[in-house]
Amino acid sequence: MSSLFHRKWAKRMIALVLCFGPFVPAPAAAAPSAANLAMIAEPQTLDPMGTTADLVATIMQHVYEPLYTYDAKWNVVPMLADGLPKVSGDGLTHTIALRQGVKFHNGREMVADDVVASLKRWMEVSPRGKAVARDIASVEAKGPYTVELKLKTLYAPLLSQLALPTSMAAILAKESIAPQLKDFIGTGPYKFKERRPDQYTLLTRFDGYVARKEAASGYAGKREALIEELRFVPVPSANTRVEGSLSGQFDFADLLPVESIGRLEKAGASVVPIMTESFGFPYLVFNTREGVLASQAIRLAVQTAFGEGEMMAAAFGDTRFFTVEPNHFPKGTPFFSTAGADKYNQRDAAAAKEAAAKAGYNGQAVRIMASRQYEFHYNMALVMAEQLKRAGIKAELQIVDWATLVQRRNDPKLWDIYVTHSPVFPEPMLSPPQLNEDAPGWWSSPAKQTTLSTLNREMDPAKRAALWGKVQQVIYDEVPYINVGKFNSLSARSQRLQGYVPSAWPFFWNTAVGGK
Amino acid sequence: MLRFILARLGGTVAVLILVAVMVFALTRLASGDPIAVLLGDQASAEDIAQVRVQYGLDKPLPTQFGYWVKEVLRGNLGQSIFLQRPVTQALAERTEPTFFLALFAVTIAALIGIPCGLVAAVWRGRPVDQIFSAIAMLGASVPSFWMGLILIQIFAVGLGWFPASGYGNPGVSLIERLHHLVLPATVLGVLNSALIIRFTRASILDILGEDYVRTARSKGLAESVVILKHVLGNALVPIVTVVGLTLALMIGGAVVTETVFNLPGVGNLVVRAVLRRDYPVIQGALLVIAGIYVLINLVIDLIYMFVDPRIRV
Repeated sequence: MSSLFHRKWAKRMIALVLCFGPFVPAPAAAAPSAANLAMIAEPQTLDPMGTTADLVATIMQHVYEPLYTYDAKWNVVPMLADGLPKVSGDGLTHTIALRQGVKFHNGREMVADDVVASLKRWMEVSPRGKAVARDIASVEAKGPYTVELKLKTLYAPLLSQLALPTSMAAILAKESIAPQLKDFIGTGPYKFKERRPDQYTLLTRFDGYVARKEAASGYAGKREALIEELRFVPVPSANTRVEGSLSGQFDFADLLPVESIGRLEKAGASVVPIMTESFGFPYLVFNTREGVLASQAIRLAVQTAFGEGEMMAAAFGDTRFFTVEPNHFPKGTPFFSTAGADKYNQRDAAAAKEAAAKAGYNGQAVRIMASRQYEFHYNMALVMAEQLKRAGIKAELQIVDWATLVQRRNDPKLWDIYVTHSPVFPEPMLSPPQLNEDAPGWWSSPAKQTTLSTLNREMDPAKRAALWGKVQQVIYDEVPYINVGKFNSLSARSQRLQGYVPSAWPFFWNTAVGGK
Repeated sequence: MLRFILARLGGTVAVLILVAVMVFALTRLASGDPIAVLLGDQASAEDIAQVRVQYGLDKPLPTQFGYWVKEVLRGNLGQSIFLQRPVTQALAERTEPTFFLALFAVTIAALIGIPCGLVAAVWRGRPVDQIFSAIAMLGASVPSFWMGLILIQIFAVGLGWFPASGYGNPGVSLIERLHHLVLPATVLGVLNSALIIRFTRASILDILGEDYVRTARSKGLAESVVILKHVLGNALVPIVTVVGLTLALMIGGAVVTETVFNLPGVGNLVVRAVLRRDYPVIQGALLVIAGIYVLINLVIDLIYMFVDPRIRV
């Protein structure tokens, strides 16, 4: 062995030791009652308004509360507001009475000034708030416990928007408001303690929490922090989340692969699998502005070629985990409608081929963009490509990572279809964003505008339900996107975590841990 | 001598500039947008564009590069887009798990590799040699994520002896943190011991044929003294070198193990930063790692210069 070789390696070893030398020993242990909650990733931010990501909502809904929230049946009910708003005869002025005696984490009482400042920030920084702000004329305090919100035009989804945990219209202590939040001071049953990126986000019980009197129902009613410390642990590897639940390391593990259901069921009493029905829907967005699918007739031909049943089977495997149904909203919910059902799950290659030929299709490739960050997106894209080929339509798969997909979809020159998914929301205007103007896909048509503006200006919930059917029909007729079906999610909790209620954004107030 | 030092310093600065340009260019050439990831799936293109302005990502690349270099020269690696803390702090937090994991794993690798290699060499061609050589081959071929999952299933899920993942709850003792490292360190240690087995075996076989070994034996020394004192003592220098090589391999290859065991180490930080395009973290981490290597090479060259007079000429 030459001395040169020795010298080279000696240098490298010294370099390595110096690279990784410094470290800080961990502080001594403490033992509060605590729950370890395995999440799918590190939260993008802790600003509850700053992102539409579900993960941020899941964590920060424990710290911050909105004026309104959803009960177990997805009705909008008051949270920090005292009751539902008083609405003026013309439907444009909402007077919101606030609960009195509600304390922020810094001990100060919440008043109307906090609410006004928070809602103004929401309209400036939150992706959802900015969209709603277009219809809001003013937000003003009318006394210490009253807020008046004036609309420019009738906007029925207002309360649903104010109640949603993602991109939340959270009420922040006025003094903590800044473009980049540094202190996370809300009114929730838990307060923020510490964030160690990629290790945990730590919340502790807020002893001064003032709960509502009504019985708990969904996100609404009485909230009680029974566990002293909530530790949200980012565990991006789904396998690691499964093994961690099986070994008892996690009290809750979010969004597990459906294939793991067998192991969870066989694991005995220590682990309880949780299925959340109609958790989300995959959808395929069509580029209506440029490329081959700018032609509505070709989009219809593609819709005829698609078999959504096959896609869902490829995506989710086990039939317990998905539903193939044309209704965009689940059965039993207010917006259930079967309008346009004949255009769903056709899987008719011959008819599609004929329709494409009639529409002037001349062999251009349909570029399908999907990410493997969500394996089911990729599996659906594979099936889609095959179904198109069967109908004589050329398909080109563009498999990219998620960060690339969310960038490229903003450029109409780069893609024809992209695959994504969304939670099932209780109000049509909350998702998908293609129902608004300017979302990727750039769907805009007279029928869209007429049906949606009728829906949005109808303040009577019962009538709105019927009006949604008309919008759904237009979606099947113009194919700006395809709602592929519904999927159920699989999570798991430990036996010792008691009182957990399955929900779209898992929450852990009113839950307790046995033992410790 | 002064000329030599100046030349080496100049070279180091040139390398650092090159590293900075490459790190910046490579992160920006990759498609993807951190702000689109930050704002979530429902955000509009308009929102994304607005927030890009806040982070200065709308400026031309040369301007962004100039700003970054200016800040780096002041010792500021920037602020992570996602982690709400400076890049230096994010890096400092990750060194502890990576350092302990590598050290723990290399110890396991050496404790397995050196005795097995020694036994295989001494009983060369015998069944024990063949068994250890086969194990070494197997170790070199098994993927670390697979072995990680198997160990988790047996020792974490089945027996419950060790935690399945992570680096311990907030505020736990160092012992508890090391307890979390047992399984990942075992994976890295066992797999990397294969190289040490083979290398130790080869080195010892070389030395067994040396004249001084024959002399030691002819003096009537006990075989154990010959092997442990004369053979192993002389074989140790190349073995220590290969242990160092193994350490380097582990730090390069620990990304997979850190992911499977969800350890918040440096590798994991860089990989997650790449996935979410956290430019400041990617640039800062790569620059620091490259910079430390370059600087230490410089220091070692200077030390060699004093030790070896031929370099000074």
